[in-house]
Amino acid sequence: MKRRVVITGSSAITPIGYGKDAIVESLQQGRSGVKPLRDDGLLSQRIHSKVFGTVDYPIDFGFSRKDSKTMGPVSFYACQVAKDVLAQSGLEQEFITSGRLGVSFSSTHGSPTVQREIYKTFFSGMESGFSSIGAVDYLKSMVHTTAVNISRMFGITGRVIASSTACTTSSQSIGFGYEMVKYGMQDAMLCGGADEYDTTTVAVFDNLLACSVDYNDSPECTPRPFDAGRDGLVVGEGGAALLLEEYETAKKRGASILGEVIGFACNNNGGDLILPNLDGITATLRLGLADAAIQAEDVDFISAHATATKMGDVIESQAIDQVYGDSPFVSGLKGYMGHTMGTCGAIELILSLYMMDEGFLAPTLNLETVDPRCGMLKHVPELMDAETEIAAVQNFAFGGVNTCLLIRKWQ
Amino acid sequence: MERVELQEKIVAILVDEFEFENPGLKDNLRDDHGFDSIDAIELLAKIEDMIGFQLSRKEKEQAMTIRTIDDILDYIETMQAAHQG
Repeated sequence: MKRRVVITGSSAITPIGYGKDAIVESLQQGRSGVKPLRDDGLLSQRIHSKVFGTVDYPIDFGFSRKDSKTMGPVSFYACQVAKDVLAQSGLEQEFITSGRLGVSFSSTHGSPTVQREIYKTFFSGMESGFSSIGAVDYLKSMVHTTAVNISRMFGITGRVIASSTACTTSSQSIGFGYEMVKYGMQDAMLCGGADEYDTTTVAVFDNLLACSVDYNDSPECTPRPFDAGRDGLVVGEGGAALLLEEYETAKKRGASILGEVIGFACNNNGGDLILPNLDGITATLRLGLADAAIQAEDVDFISAHATATKMGDVIESQAIDQVYGDSPFVSGLKGYMGHTMGTCGAIELILSLYMMDEGFLAPTLNLETVDPRCGMLKHVPELMDAETEIAAVQNFAFGGVNTCLLIRKWQ
Repeated sequence: MERVELQEKIVAILVDEFEFENPGLKDNLRDDHGFDSIDAIELLAKIEDMIGFQLSRKEKEQAMTIRTIDDILDYIETMQAAHQG
């Protein structure tokens, strides 16, 4: 059984805004969400990179203690966007709690803020004799905390998938959710990812010499995907969710359909855990096209993973060139907000949906002088009107995990 | 600590940190205020801070029969008496 899978809800909290209007405005005005790294009193002074893709506007979560007592910051993002997509989808409560709706959602670490508090207890509070780990610290910080806080808050009783694969976390969440619906295991899936403000992630990439350090005094000028002057990635935060639903069910209930997921592929390089791998990435892109049963020339736009690391962008360019040539327009959306880690696939898919719906393409922010090794691609040259029917969203992660999602505009 | 003072402190914790609305001493904590097992463990940690000594595993397990605010106050007084002895 293969069923069509449509999108009936989408929501994103990003460094360039929360909700479609704010995000589209930022894309159209070329506004960056990268800000100075905040002093965390621990690691920030030891990190070379001083920039972060920051959600610095207030969000009125309004969750009661009953719902929020098991949430770290990451779950606040997750539950907020989950609440949005359930409301937007118009699904009735009876369906939400029926077992026919599942959750495919995760984050890179769970909640590092809560984990940090646990270690503070170990290292500074034990002499008091009464400190211990809080009753809910594990529930707040475990790696599937976002998925189960969503399930709990809305009474969702279907399958739970919490793929935690660093930068492919939410693209896998969407892909696995798509497969659940496509093959009839569930009738709908609430999918996505979230990651909170976290300096330990910056420290990890900083230590690997993969973070941007040359633009500490002008955060909005970095990251610079595909640019000759790029010097690494910028870690960011956010949350994003999609409601995927079986087409016939959605149509029958008169749901407003935002787009269709037509293909997904995921594989592993089978080797090095860090270095990008041309063969592995190329294979993923081809598997994605095969799953969608389309040709390379059918794809109008590619949202590249494009983290702005020195080798990653070059290998990705070579893979796109091998599979697509210079047919589709390409943009690296991390230029606007940095690398939102476990959230990036979902955010980039939603931004692609927004651009499809509004009939425009945003260029890679900060791409001024194209690295000649990335010059074979058809980069979006500037903000432009464009009718995109099919878009591909590519993401690659530490561990050698590659994903490709293909979406079609709903006519 | 006198029972009146103890009651004031416990009620303040339940209102301020557990979002209880108009708690009564005989209210059923779970049915009337949605107080669950996670809340019970968190409250025990706050009680330890308040009384100034650490409760044993067995003493904590005794708290699992608590149903009302009055029960909480009785429990704290029992623990204080046991540790003073």
